[in-house]
Amino acid sequence: MTELDFEAKIRAIASGMEYPRTPDTAGSVTARLHSVTRPRLISKALAWSLTILLILISSLMLIPPARAAIIEFIQIGVVRIFRAEPTPVPPQNQEIPSTMVPVTATALPTSQPLIPMLENLAGEMTLEDAQKRVNYLLLLPSYPADLGHPDRVFVQDADGAMTILVWLDPQKPDQVLMSLHFLPAGSWAIKKMEPTVIKETMVNGHRAIWTTGPYPMQLENGDLQFMRMISGHVLIWETKDITYRLETDRSLDEAIQIAESLKPITSP
Amino acid sequence: MDESTLIRHATNGDAAAWESLMLLHQESVFRLAYLLLGDPDDAEDTAQESFLRAWKYLKRFDGTRPFRPWLLRITANLARNRRRAAGRYLAALMRSFRDEPASMRVEEKSAQSLEANELWHAVQNLNLADQQIIYLRYFLDLSVNETAQALQVAEGTVKSRLSRALEKLRSIIQQDFPVLADRREGREV
Repeated sequence: MTELDFEAKIRAIASGMEYPRTPDTAGSVTARLHSVTRPRLISKALAWSLTILLILISSLMLIPPARAAIIEFIQIGVVRIFRAEPTPVPPQNQEIPSTMVPVTATALPTSQPLIPMLENLAGEMTLEDAQKRVNYLLLLPSYPADLGHPDRVFVQDADGAMTILVWLDPQKPDQVLMSLHFLPAGSWAIKKMEPTVIKETMVNGHRAIWTTGPYPMQLENGDLQFMRMISGHVLIWETKDITYRLETDRSLDEAIQIAESLKPITSP
Repeated sequence: MDESTLIRHATNGDAAAWESLMLLHQESVFRLAYLLLGDPDDAEDTAQESFLRAWKYLKRFDGTRPFRPWLLRITANLARNRRRAAGRYLAALMRSFRDEPASMRVEEKSAQSLEANELWHAVQNLNLADQQIIYLRYFLDLSVNETAQALQVAEGTVKSRLSRALEKLRSIIQQDFPVLADRREGREV
């Protein structure tokens, strides 16, 4: 039998193949597409936890009207700060949009207590476990001298482990005194839109940015995005691999002093 | 609405256009998955994943090329990945021999279907690349051009690979599938 004859026979025999009934794949896929609102890089639980955390560390503010023209931005580490012409500070007593959750770290009378919300956060662990979990060195402020170790430690791992250290106010333990973020390169990206004050400064010889609110902050990881308002003071500086973000109600000078006091973890 | 229009609409996010495209191609996709995996449930899962993957990456599809080969390439890749799961393929093969549904019982099959089933088992003795090219060309009846698009090779490469695969298949049939060989020889007279 020639090759052509053999090929013709194979084709003829194959045409008689009986297959199981073709399922309604189109219907199933359509249903699945309708049930998926958006692809997720991280779990719903983690996304929700991150949302809560961002609310927790942010003060209650309102997103100012969107501006059409962003004239420039400053990039520092994974943080990109967009600047525009000075934006009027929205009044604090303005009506809160329904999309914003009224929770603040500065203990407004109507705010929810923070501690129960902290209990809902994912990724909490001991400082020691956090250090084992991430591949960069966790540093702690040695100033103020009585600050001590953070009260809560979270590692949010989504294509890059972000560490968040939280110090609570000893006088008001349901409020956050200070938080320090470690953002490794290539993981999370933060966009700050139009902070009211931007000042370039230095932390241990590294370029740093000081911003004050209120301004919207967008935290991105892949296609996951959170938009929250920040009103506190934030000092951002970068080293070779890590972007640090210190949120505090202290002054710039004191924030720099805290930032420059970072040291490897020692026993409490 | 023709296929290229459906594709254009689907690329712009039109889910109804995508559903129409799926209806056009779901049989080919399911059958290729079934031939490669040997299990209807696995084939259905793979077919669904194929369409979901295709929907996700539809913007990358080159609209000047035929759609079916692109879709079948996705299906073949997913099926190959699925086969790599330990024991899954062998288990499916065992089931296909052991638990054929009532509607597919041997005594109810036509002689032609029996031959085709035997041929399928013979093809399963080839390596995966040879299986794939034979399924596309002879079982799903793709043209040489479509087969080349599905495999992302030149048409000449398809012809040479087919020639080698058929040679191996002929040897396997002669050695291990005498019933199929006898039937074929009987018909040749």
